[in-house]
Amino acid sequence: MDLKTFIENFEDAVDGIEPGSLSEATAFRELKNWDSLAILTVIDMIDAEYQVTVNAADFQQCATLKELFELVKKRKKA
Amino acid sequence: MPKCRFEDVEISGVVTSVPKTEKCIDDEAHLFGGNLRQIERLKKTIGLDRRRVAGSGITAADLCESAARRLMERLDLPLAGPDAILCVTQTADYSQPCNAAVLHGRMDLPKDCAAFDVNLGCSGYVYGLWLAHSMIASGGCERVLLLAGDTISRLVHPKDRAVAPLFGDGGSATLVRRKQGAPPAWFSLESDGHGADHLIVPAGGMRRPSTEATRQAEPDASGNIRSPENLFMDGSEIFNFSVREEPRALQEIAAYAGLALTDVDYFVFHQANRYILNSIAKRLKLDPARVPVKTVERFGNQSSASIPCALCAELGESLTRQPATVLLSGFGVGLSWANAIADTSGLRVCEWIDHPETAS
Repeated sequence: MDLKTFIENFEDAVDGIEPGSLSEATAFRELKNWDSLAILTVIDMIDAEYQVTVNAADFQQCATLKELFELVKKRKKA
Repeated sequence: MPKCRFEDVEISGVVTSVPKTEKCIDDEAHLFGGNLRQIERLKKTIGLDRRRVAGSGITAADLCESAARRLMERLDLPLAGPDAILCVTQTADYSQPCNAAVLHGRMDLPKDCAAFDVNLGCSGYVYGLWLAHSMIASGGCERVLLLAGDTISRLVHPKDRAVAPLFGDGGSATLVRRKQGAPPAWFSLESDGHGADHLIVPAGGMRRPSTEATRQAEPDASGNIRSPENLFMDGSEIFNFSVREEPRALQEIAAYAGLALTDVDYFVFHQANRYILNSIAKRLKLDPARVPVKTVERFGNQSSASIPCALCAELGESLTRQPATVLLSGFGVGLSWANAIADTSGLRVCEWIDHPETAS
């Protein structure tokens, strides 16, 4: 799993995000477009790209995209 | 439950009746704090747009009755013909008696007719079809009238953005009957009660009876307003359940029927929302032209009536002209899901109507 690709996938999954505008330090839950629809499309992206299931509560445990990436990576190994 | 196969049973006709009143998310900017951009995203991504909703005077029983009257008229059969009437609903007129008994009386059916309800929602139409096939295959019935309908719009709080713009209302009537030589139909039925809390009306039943407190609406963490007597949906859990169970269940029923998914002409899913349907279709690499997804944007998510409505509104003309192999797939509240593969060569009527507002 690659962090750069993960961030690109994230940018692609959330409507209205400029490609290349986010980094591993981005506090994604504070993005203007982070709402229930974005939660749904990111859950879908993580399931489709990484075969990992996350739910709405998992996002609450992550502050940055790096942390979200680590959560997915850990779960993928498990 | 194990999968099962039936022969010599046909689906003769389907009619879906919807209320005339139409609401549109464009008129509900106040729900989204005037955020038109968010409404555009919901329209584009989820497929929310218009929905047909029952006023306070219209119930699922009314919608099913008008569908049934039209169906029997179009099939040129007496209304009093069926040996059994079976209602699938979670929004019955009364906690008792059941809708089937009420409609048995309103339609003046003879006494030698079984009448009962099945309490299921999104998966209910396929469960109802399976029951109708079973009742006929067992030899007890020649004709079964299956009525599936709900008025979920009346259970949602108008200020709950997670559900209010999504749910519409509808009632359907399907006639299933014995027909020597009819092609086989295959069914699979599954459940996961551990997910009962994900889509639930928490209060108003026997577990938590209606009180002043249960009628009190309050905002949740996301600012959506509802009372414990309103419908609650955990959208992300329902999404995860759908993309986990549905692709596997579809592959299994096709294998059981000895078919490849490419042998199926149409995949008619419960019209949950366009995003979920596209996600399931993508995982199975289904041809989008074979997956109707426009019912939810025209009528709303109609719970037990959504599969018949998709059949009638999106495929009606095609199916009555050109017989097809259809896969019907209901999934949701319970959690419960059911799949069927059937042939539509016996289908003579497949249409939708506006509910006549002057009906009894």
